[in-house]
Amino acid sequence: MVDVTLTINGTTVSRSTTPRRLLSDFIREDLGYTGTHVGCEHGYCGACTILVDGEPARACLMLAVQADGLQLETVESLAPSPDALHEIQQAFQDNHGLQCGFCTPGMLMTAKALLADNATPTEEEVREQIAGNLCRCTGYSQIVDAILSVGPVVRETP
Amino acid sequence: MTIRETNPRHFGSRAARSEDPRFLTGQGRYVADLTNVGTVHARFVRSPFAHAKVISVETSEALATPGVLAVFTGSDWADIGITCVSSYPGFQSSRMPILAGDTVRYNGEAVAMVLADDEYVAEDAARMVFVDYEPLQPLVDIADALADGAPRIHEDWEDNVFVKRRFVSDGFQDALDAAPHVVTQKWEMARHSGTPIECRAVVATYEPGRDHLTVWTSTQIPHLIKSGLAAALGRSEDGIRVVSPDVGGGFGVKAQLYPEEVACAQAAIALHKPIRWVEDRREHLLTAHHSREHMHEATMAYDDDGRILAYGVEVRVNMGPYSVFPWTATMDTGMAMGILPGPYRVGEYSASGFPVATNKAPFGAYRGVSRPAACFTTERMLDQVARERGLDPLEVRRRNLLQSEDFPHRSIGGLVYDSGTVRECLELLVEWTNYEDLRVDQERKRADGRLMGIGVVPFIEQTAHTSQEFLQRGVPIVFGYETSKLRLTPDGRLIISASIHSHGQGLETTLAQMAADALGIGLADIRVEFGDTDQVPYGSGTFASRSAVLAGGAARLASLELRDKLARVAAYIFEAAAEDIVFTDGHVSVRGTPTRAMQLSELCRIVYQRPEQIPPGETPSLEVSTTYDAPPGTGTYTSAAHLAVVEVDAETGRVQIDDYAVVEDCGRMINPMIVEGQITGGVAQGIGSAMLEEFVYDDQGNLMTTTLMDYLMPTATDVPRVRIRHIETPSDTVAGVRGMGEGGAIAPGAVLAAAVEDALLPLGPVVVDRLPLSPERVLRYADRARSNGR
Repeated sequence: MVDVTLTINGTTVSRSTTPRRLLSDFIREDLGYTGTHVGCEHGYCGACTILVDGEPARACLMLAVQADGLQLETVESLAPSPDALHEIQQAFQDNHGLQCGFCTPGMLMTAKALLADNATPTEEEVREQIAGNLCRCTGYSQIVDAILSVGPVVRETP
Repeated sequence: MTIRETNPRHFGSRAARSEDPRFLTGQGRYVADLTNVGTVHARFVRSPFAHAKVISVETSEALATPGVLAVFTGSDWADIGITCVSSYPGFQSSRMPILAGDTVRYNGEAVAMVLADDEYVAEDAARMVFVDYEPLQPLVDIADALADGAPRIHEDWEDNVFVKRRFVSDGFQDALDAAPHVVTQKWEMARHSGTPIECRAVVATYEPGRDHLTVWTSTQIPHLIKSGLAAALGRSEDGIRVVSPDVGGGFGVKAQLYPEEVACAQAAIALHKPIRWVEDRREHLLTAHHSREHMHEATMAYDDDGRILAYGVEVRVNMGPYSVFPWTATMDTGMAMGILPGPYRVGEYSASGFPVATNKAPFGAYRGVSRPAACFTTERMLDQVARERGLDPLEVRRRNLLQSEDFPHRSIGGLVYDSGTVRECLELLVEWTNYEDLRVDQERKRADGRLMGIGVVPFIEQTAHTSQEFLQRGVPIVFGYETSKLRLTPDGRLIISASIHSHGQGLETTLAQMAADALGIGLADIRVEFGDTDQVPYGSGTFASRSAVLAGGAARLASLELRDKLARVAAYIFEAAAEDIVFTDGHVSVRGTPTRAMQLSELCRIVYQRPEQIPPGETPSLEVSTTYDAPPGTGTYTSAAHLAVVEVDAETGRVQIDDYAVVEDCGRMINPMIVEGQITGGVAQGIGSAMLEEFVYDDQGNLMTTTLMDYLMPTATDVPRVRIRHIETPSDTVAGVRGMGEGGAIAPGAVLAAAVEDALLPLGPVVVDRLPLSPERVLRYADRARSNGR
């Protein structure tokens, strides 16, 4: 067993874990943040995308021990309060950017990172950036519209 | 029976979805999110062979692994299995084992189940189960299974065909013989599947004290899973509760009873512990039921003007080894035989259907079931007729399409088209996309050496078909009605419990939209629940573009009955006539007398808590359960037309989709935003079918595409913006709606194949006869076109 200390959504946690435990399993099952979904466990579908020190990463491609000392953000970090949505979340609802909801957490975290990097992306840039997140329901256009609709103020202060 | 609110507020609005906030905040609850104290984790040991004798299964090393509680093998559960027998004469039945016994019949079939207190340990131990196989000749392709002298997949069968069915109209042969022109062509659609982003997952618990089993499973059909489990396990249904919580996409893949569901239930009973199995992606691609692998041999006779005189198709579908519950192995062939004539006047018709047993993975439903293949064949045949006669493909459609006056229409395929505006959809599409200008643009681009192609396809889709359709299909369970139970709480909120489910379709919102207006309440005051067989009424579930029509219709009817009762109570209290009671914005009042009003919540409280104030003879309850089967049960038809513009790069095989446009008539729209989301998502899946997705097997029956890097689904850079326009022709169902969940996925294969074939024409004529259009295949078509053009 290995001790791991990391910060998740602003809270510092310490756990003892096996060296081989995937970060995705650690987040979901040991820390209880089940909003991070697992869709392929080989780094392709993007459902488990979280932010690691602000950069998007596949939680299924990291071991929990690799996250020692790092700052993690999951979908649970987005909403400012239990009864309010983050602007990106609101944009997804307003634009019907989700259907079954399974890819949504990863898509939202990717969207947050891309808007932090580029406050005024073009449609093509958005499509390129989210091409690493599979959605089987929407056909993507509504997700693209949602991301493009997020106001510049929000884009600049992620 | 079209029931319409005179002044709808919620029905027809682009209401934001009620289910969204929990999904957006990571608070959806999918099966893998559930936790139970003392959970035992399951992994399956799966066959590396497509067809083999199982000589022995050695489990001692696995059992000796610390943390392992049990290992089950085929011999432990030899007496349970999944059977689904069609009533068609001559149907050869199969039994899908829970764990394979002495024979494995597809790559990935489970031979053992390992249970451990840790998921990682279970996976380790699964590798410590040693199975001795004796490989048998695998029957991979349809031709292998039909070959003379082919070994039989099931020893007691006469051959490898589940059932042979044939229909020939009386004048078919004469019409074929007398026709001036005949075209014959083979068409193929590759094996692929719905592949939701959430894989399958099951949690099963057993309470010995109550002899009660609970199975949480990611399924579209919770009550049918309960009935199927009861049959497989020999238990009574009252001792089984199935709960399907949030489902991360279904698309038909989750509309079958799977052996893993039975295995988890059986293990929970055996061990008296909660059993959890979360499928990994490799298992999903290997074993979650595949779909779509159709081979059609079509003959079309036509006159000088390109009018169809006779149409004949032999349909062969590669079904894998077992008949699946609840569909049997006849669904795809049967549906193809019915719908192949499509929206056209077909005078004489012949169809035969051969669901062929092979050593590929079992075959189940996928959005559009069979219709994408049927549409592909019929539309591709019309494109050949157009080319032979030197006509524009659009013109050939115009000459053959059913006209408004032809509806209702009993098709020669045996279906009853209640109504149809397919001609109107096509004409609007042509006008809206400036089809004539597209052809001019194409000429210009061709002059510049660019390969631009256009595909245009109208189709008609049977939706919300119930008993009369499923009786014909010979399935053991006839999927008829759906039921919605409405309850008003004492504080005036509405709970809708529905026998269907929702896995992306937004039914949590649209069922509320169906019920809200009659009671004058807002969507925020309505909760819709699905999936828990202890809470929701019995019904079939969500598939076949039926849930909004059937459960929505039932919800609308129940809301009217509730309103009638509330009106009688209010009339008694206000000393007014019941027909003068109006319900708006959470208030109940007497028409024209605004002073006589109360909140709906107050009226509900009176019914439940002040029985002395309600009229004598009224029961103190506000609960109505209504069943609806959209009579006459043959389905209500949705019309549509799709158009695509592509540009092909004949050097790389890349196909760029420059435009994709859809006109669809799904009757009255409950929520146009959701309708458009369904169309766009369906088209995206259809583009996957057309361009990318294929389960590739080697000649030994091993699946080669077992990761998402090999099995390619469309990404945001593969799917263009889908442009959509609507025609709204009410159907005769409650509220005038038609089903539309599958439609988007039906036409893209036909449309894009036509567009690519059209694009390649300057190189020479070629028949684009097989999907998907991978770059490799497009290059081959381009080569063939060049050599044909020489």
